[in-house]
Formats: sequence, structure tokens, C-alpha cells
Amino acid sequence: MPPILETRRLDRAFGALRAVADVSLVVERGELRAIIGPNGAGKTTFFHLLSGVVRPTAGQVLLKDEDVSGLSAAARCRRGMSRTFQITSLFPELSVLENVRIAIQAKRGGNTRLLGGRALLARTEAGAREALGFVNLEDRAAVPASTLPHGDQRLLEIAMALAQEPDLLLLDEPTQGLGVEETAATAALVQRISRERRLTILLVEHDMDVVFNVADRISVLHFGRLIAEGSPAEIRRNVEVQQAYLGDMD
Amino acid sequence: MAPLRRWGPVATLVVLAVLPWGLARHQLSLLTDLLIFSLFALSLDLIMGYTGMVSFGHAAYFGLGAYGSALLLIHFEVPIPIALLGGALGAGLVAWPVGYISTRATGIYFAMLTLAFAQLLYTLAYKWRALTGGSDGIAGVPKTALWWGGPSLVEPRAFYFLILVSFLVAFVLCRALVRSPFGRALQAIRENERKFATLGQDPRRFKVIVFVIAAALAGLAGALSAPFRGFASPEAMFWLLSGQALMMVIIGGIGTLVGPAIGAMVFVLVQEVLSSYTEHWMLFTGAIFVLMVIFLPGGIVGAARRRFAA
Ligand SMILES: Nc1ncnc2c1ncn2[C@@H]1O[C@H](COP(=O)(O)OP(=O)(O)OP(=O)(O)O)[C@@H](O)[C@H]1O
Ligand SMILES: [Mg+2]
Repeated sequence: MPPILETRRLDRAFGALRAVADVSLVVERGELRAIIGPNGAGKTTFFHLLSGVVRPTAGQVLLKDEDVSGLSAAARCRRGMSRTFQITSLFPELSVLENVRIAIQAKRGGNTRLLGGRALLARTEAGAREALGFVNLEDRAAVPASTLPHGDQRLLEIAMALAQEPDLLLLDEPTQGLGVEETAATAALVQRISRERRLTILLVEHDMDVVFNVADRISVLHFGRLIAEGSPAEIRRNVEVQQAYLGDMD
Repeated sequence: MAPLRRWGPVATLVVLAVLPWGLARHQLSLLTDLLIFSLFALSLDLIMGYTGMVSFGHAAYFGLGAYGSALLLIHFEVPIPIALLGGALGAGLVAWPVGYISTRATGIYFAMLTLAFAQLLYTLAYKWRALTGGSDGIAGVPKTALWWGGPSLVEPRAFYFLILVSFLVAFVLCRALVRSPFGRALQAIRENERKFATLGQDPRRFKVIVFVIAAALAGLAGALSAPFRGFASPEAMFWLLSGQALMMVIIGGIGTLVGPAIGAMVFVLVQEVLSSYTEHWMLFTGAIFVLMVIFLPGGIVGAARRRFAA
């Protein structure tokens, strides 16, 4: 079976700055892969390139052996790649349930129903409630998304991605801005998704405890370059990685 | 709120249905005009309120509908419904390429493109004398019958009911639309277009479709206005009317459908009353608009909802 995701010499420059530089990487099916690196290393830009939000200046993205480099974000999502954003991205005025329902309908194509569509709405509602149940938000289904506390908003965005039943899930710092307990709960959730949903996860994460606990493999970005890749144990021992992070300290 | 929700529409319908017998001729004429503008503002709310696309050129489609129906009625003496259909379809057809191009941009750039296209269409209507009669417009547009050989709609009350029914049909359609899966997608696009795109569908497709629907409904309003007033003129396409439509929507309550319909009535009524007292009425409508935006955010309907929710 081909790898679920592959990048070939992926590059993105913003003016003189190469935010992502010559990154070639392979992710196998079922993996939980963490992408780490100091602030500004290019992790988010890398996710944008994978999902089609930002266009590469060079290189390719292959999803299930298909070159998707020229496809829109929408088309990549329909091919099985769902994502969340580092800065929570929801439909704030719509209800929690509606947020998830839109996600499901967008994927299945039911959103173009002009009139009626009651049966369709009912069917997607069931799927939406199930996804909300997975992140323990089912009792908040009716309130506007903007009224949820920050932590729940981040869970909602994960639920939206999950409800799309993707093959590949990209999570950009799901624990950002969370307290200690919430962080642990989210780490457990990510692990549960990985085990129960048989999907591949790419996780950008700052919290090293989370990373070393949940990841199968880790890729390290530094100034846009892929400087190391390996198991948690290998990355822990890697001198170049330690220096990258130490350099970030001072 | 609940009793208002339930009985408000019924009471409104009853009033609108019996009012023609209690009004003088010119009052009925004004009421008919109000309904035309309500329909026009309603159509703008679809793109502005529900999709977040602010168009500065919505009058163009009103005007296209007016010319379309005027030409059909004068040259072919078709029954009114066919003229209405023709006007609406014509406006929608022109809106398609305009929407396709304009939705490449968003926000203020989208607004500017719609304005530019509207001015282009206005100029065309103004210069193409052979077809449109230039600045004189097309006069003598007849009120024909409901069908070939059917009863004529010359009687003011008959035409009033034609417009009332058209408005109600459009309103019910719009309501079904905004509650459909498509309508919910529109609202999601309004809330967060980039997120919508990453969820798997191209927002532009939705935006073009709703732009065309809104233009066709504006065209329907214009198509009704031509036989009602007896003429179609370039003023109907001028940016002034586009701007007034924005004010109607905002005064009434953006994104509520019923709000813009009410807003249009209030706007035209205020204008009517003020213009009978002073020639500087625009100054006063402007001032009223400013005050309403500041003190009634959410418009009339928004204020009513807050009042009854509290
Ligand atoms: N649209 C843009 N225009 C210009 N520069 C950008 C743009 N997006 C990102 N950058 C720059 O590219 C570099 C990588 O940014 P990116 O957000 O990908 O890093 P990151 O690894 O996600 O950082 P963090 O850990 O803080 O989230 C940074 O120097 C950033 O300033
Ligand atoms: Mg980032």
C-alpha cells in the first residue's frame, strides 16, 4: 500500500524568508506523527501547504499516491484530508450542532440542496451528534459556537474534522491556550482518535510531554528545514534537535 | 415573543388583504410601491445578510427586470406573469457572469466590482436609445392580463394583489432557502469563508448561485414596477437606488428577511412624508439612518427581538 502522505522537496518562500525549505517526508497509514520545532520553524506553513490553504513555491504533495499540489483546499478535503487551525476557526454565530453539520454536508456535497432537504438535515444531524458525543459536547449542541469557552471551541473544531471521517487528520496545536488538565484530556483524546478511528494523524504540538507520550514518530522542523525524524526515543537523543531547542531559548 | 411570532404574520396578512378597501387611490398606489421595495430589499438581504456579500450595485438587476418586462409588455403584449418571468430571468442571466467575476474578490473589492458593473449597465441603458429610449426611458408600459384573453389587471386593487402575491411567494421561497442546507452553507460562508473552503466545498459556487437568485428576485421587483408605474427608466439602475436598498436592509434588520421588508416600507414612507414638507428630505433620511444605526443596532427587527427576549 502506498504511503498516505508524501511531500517531495516542498518549498514555500515569503519574500526572502523560506518558511518551508526542501521538505521531503513520508507518512504511513495509521501513524500518529508529531511535527515539532521552535517558534517560527514553519510547522503551520507546512500544514497550510499540505491542506492547500497556501500554495508551494516548489515541490509536491502526494495524498494516497495522487499529486494534489494543484488542487484547492476543498478538493483535498474531499479526498480525505481534514484539518484544524492553530487559531480556532469556527462559524461563531452558528450553533455548535450547525458547525458540525456544515462540516459533514460540505464533505458529502449535500450543501447545494436549495430547498427543503429536511431528510438530509435530519440524517446529518445524527452524524453531527455522534461526533459531538465523541468530544463530550453533545449537551452544548444548541448554543452558538462563540459562546463556548476556549477549550470547548478547540474540541468543537476537532469534532468538525472528525465528523468528516477523514483518512488523514491534521491537528495544529490542539492544546494551544489550554490549562494543564485540559491539555492532558486533549492528549488522551488525540490518542483515542488514533486508536479507535483507524486514521492517520499529523500533530503539531509544542508541549513536549504530549508529543513524547502520544507520537509514534516525530519529525523536527527548524528554520523551515526537516532536521530530524525518528521514534520519540531517537528524537530525545538527537543532538541537533537539542541544539535547535536550546538555540530557541537564548 | 411567541404570540408575536405566531399571530404577527397572520395579522399582517389580514391587514394587507383588507387594506385596499380602506385606502384612497393614491394611498393604495403608495402601498403597492412599498411592497415592490420590500421585495427588492428582501432580495438584497439574501446576499448581504445571509452570505455577507455587500453589493453596491443591486439596483442594476431591479432595472434590468423593469426593462425586460417593459419591452415584453410593449412589443409583445404578453400576459403579466410572462413579463415578470422574463424580467426576473433576464436579471438573473446578466447577474451570472457579473457574479462569477465579482466573487473572485471579497469584501470591499467585491462591493466595488458590483458597483462598477452596475454603472456599466446603467450607462448601457442610458446610451442604447433604440432599445431603452435613453434618458426618457420606456413609457406607456401596459398592464396586460393574467393570461391571454384573461381579465385585465388595470384595476388598482387587482394589480395590488398581483404584487402582494408575488411578494409573499418570494418571501416564502427566501425563507425556505435560508433554512435549507444551501442556506445554512451560505451563513457558514458569511461566518468564515476560509474554514468553509477547507471543509470541502468551493464557497464561490455558492456565492455565484445566491447572487443570481438575489438578482432574479430584484429583477422580479423591477418587472412588477414597470407595468405598475407604466414606465422603465435608467434611474431604476442608478447607484442611488443601490445605496437606498442597503439602507433599507440595515434599518429593518440585516439577515432577518422580514426586517428588510419592513425597513423598505419605513424608508419609503419616511421619504414620502419628508419630501412633501421639504426638498432637503435626503438630509433628514440620512440623519435618521445615522441615528438608527447608532441606537438600533440590528435594525427594527433586531430591536424588537431584544425587547421581547428580555
Ligand atoms: N503569510 C505569511 N507572510 C509572511 N511570512 C509568513 C507568513 N506566514 C508565515 N510566515 C513566516 O514564516 C515563518 C514560519 O511561520 P509558521 O507560522 O509556519 O511557524 P510555526 O512553526 O507554525 O510557528 P509557531 O510555533 O509559532 O506556530 C515565520 O517566520 C513566519 O513569520
Ligand atoms: Mg504554528
